[in-house]
Amino acid sequence: MAWQRVASISEIDADGVLGVDVDGSPVALYRLGNEVFATAGICTHALAILSDGFVEDGKIECPLHQGQFDIRSGKALCPPVTEDLRTYAVKLDGNDVCIDMERPAANAAPGPNAGDGIRAAAQENNADGRKSTGPNVQSQEWLTQRYVWPEEGLTRIPDWVYTDHTIYEREVEKIFHGRTWNYVALECEVPKAGDFIRSNVGPTPVVVVRADDGSINVFENRCSHRAAEFCRELSGNVKEFVCPYHQWSYDLQGNLAGVPFRRGVNGKGGMPADFDSSRHGLHQLNVKSHRGVVFASYARDMESFEDYLGPEVLKEFEATFDGRKPRLLGYYRHTLPGNWKLYHENLKDPYHATLLHTFLVTFGLLVAGNRSLMLADATGRHGVMASAKSERKSVSSDAKKEMRAYREGMSLAEPRFMDFVEEFDSPWSVTMATIWPNLIIQREMNTLGMRQIVPTGPHEFIMKWTMFGFEGDDEEMTRHRLRQGNLMGPAGFLGLEDNEAIKFVQDGMQHVPGGQHLVKLDPAVAAGTSESLISEASIRAMYRHWRVEMGL
Amino acid sequence: MDDSVLTRDHARAPAALDSRLEALLLHHEIESFNARYAQALDEQRLADWTEMFTDDARYVVLSRENFDRGLPVGLIYCESKRMIHDRAFALTETSMFAPRYLRHFIANLVVLGAEINGTVTSRANYIVLQVLFDRPDATLHQVGVYYDVFRREGGALKLAERRCVYDNLLVPNALCIPV
Ligand code: FES
Ligand SMILES: [Fe+2]
Repeated sequence: MAWQRVASISEIDADGVLGVDVDGSPVALYRLGNEVFATAGICTHALAILSDGFVEDGKIECPLHQGQFDIRSGKALCPPVTEDLRTYAVKLDGNDVCIDMERPAANAAPGPNAGDGIRAAAQENNADGRKSTGPNVQSQEWLTQRYVWPEEGLTRIPDWVYTDHTIYEREVEKIFHGRTWNYVALECEVPKAGDFIRSNVGPTPVVVVRADDGSINVFENRCSHRAAEFCRELSGNVKEFVCPYHQWSYDLQGNLAGVPFRRGVNGKGGMPADFDSSRHGLHQLNVKSHRGVVFASYARDMESFEDYLGPEVLKEFEATFDGRKPRLLGYYRHTLPGNWKLYHENLKDPYHATLLHTFLVTFGLLVAGNRSLMLADATGRHGVMASAKSERKSVSSDAKKEMRAYREGMSLAEPRFMDFVEEFDSPWSVTMATIWPNLIIQREMNTLGMRQIVPTGPHEFIMKWTMFGFEGDDEEMTRHRLRQGNLMGPAGFLGLEDNEAIKFVQDGMQHVPGGQHLVKLDPAVAAGTSESLISEASIRAMYRHWRVEMGL
Repeated sequence: MDDSVLTRDHARAPAALDSRLEALLLHHEIESFNARYAQALDEQRLADWTEMFTDDARYVVLSRENFDRGLPVGLIYCESKRMIHDRAFALTETSMFAPRYLRHFIANLVVLGAEINGTVTSRANYIVLQVLFDRPDATLHQVGVYYDVFRREGGALKLAERRCVYDNLLVPNALCIPV
């Protein structure tokens, strides 16, 4: 019996398959939840390579004739395959996947230690020195026992992902306060020194301010004395921040500048002699601005913003922020009675767009069959839903049949608000970029907006939309953007429907214990970019990432 | 309306009495207009609602935040009756939202000015309560102020402009019926 290292766990996609060569024999490695399995790499039927196949519900489907085998036992499940697949014993050594070619897998799932490698890969990532308030490393075991992902893999999403408070708290710690760049502002909201706006990183209130040297600082809106949320205006201009409670003052960098009666009165009271103001400034975040868009992170050693987005999503980002300076047009703010991730999913779900949005379909903005792309970055966390507007007459009668939403012969009294004025160097008339974890960049033809997600618990989030145009827009272009804004936002022809749909989903989960969602569309793409609108592959990609970040 | 008109001594010359009566009638006319407006929306008769505007009417619903900062973005942004018509059309024919009642209350009307040509400016407070068919309570959906310009067409008052400025920072989920 010889264990040999054949791969690193990170090479195998969650609920995916990896082909490796072990001493000349093809072997297929699979990851199901937190477990790894190995089988012979060639189908017993017609010599097809199984690692080109598709993993679903604990089964591997052969790419050639769609025969299926049970991954755990190697059992042949349906014609044309009749002969079982050979399996190999697997053990995990840290991140190393080792197999024993002479020993078959135990049919039962491996023991409790098997998954530790994966769990270890999701490091405690709260990057600054603050004490973690969420579950600690010790309770990781409890967590993974309590929150078990369905064995079918990424084609199912359990309801607890959206409804559980422990999960929500862990998301704040691991995701919003973890290794992420969070959108906080457009630079044009704070053009001059002393200009500030209030914003959020996850649920946490922050202040975004431009300092005298032109730099932008982001710190928590929480006094370092007694935690008062000191900044009360939504926006404004200040020379310094003074907390109303005991008037501690802070400069525009967030440094503690003044403590009244620090030395007490008449030699009595006051702060201890060794009180060091430099250690009691506001909690500052790491800040990065790209093309006038400001992001903040609790992680001190974040990768660059460019690397964080990845080349494909960065390209779309820069197609919208093409060098022109954004100009603020105003805000929408609303609550949404649903889990914050459902908003990402809604924009990684091009399937709904052609079905829910009658307006969109009826007036030819988006129909099944339009040129489109549902892009996912390599990690699965970001995405871009892109489509090109078609002429209404090109809606095929086939597509019309499938879309109950399609209405013949409807017309608008003022159709020009739907015009697309070409202004971007992009093949797409519409792109919705989901930038993990808290931003959607809306480029719906000419109506442009940053949608910032502010979660307030598992069941609700706030959405803040910052609508903008560009410097150099003439009056007519600005008004065109404003008119087209009727499509979006909490009263938008499309926007209000999305809000309602998300509410319905959250409602549907309220009183059904142990429920699961089904996200099976487009099996040709296990998880990732798809050219079909009828796809949920990007949602699966997002959860592949989420599970790693959450260690679940 | 100038409050002093109604509080002055009653024994006045007929001309002054006329102007007091005129003011009273105008006030009443706008109040009953607003009541009909609220009713059309409450009953979700959006085609009737559309007819309460002039052809060149502007109808905008915007947050207090945007209004105070001179930012033009509106939840609803219509630059003409045609756009108001399209809004009504889209909401009745294409939009998916859960069934609900939205009840409009309009109060504290102040007539700010009346021009010789029949243009009247006024403001009034409004409240919109929402009841979802499957939920027990009414919730406060919006509270704000109408800034209005009326004009006479064929003798009847119509809205040439209504800016609905709501004070609540957050819209509860979605605004499905105009305000
Ligand atoms: S809480 Fe801010 S100064 Fe005391
Ligand atoms: Fe949508």
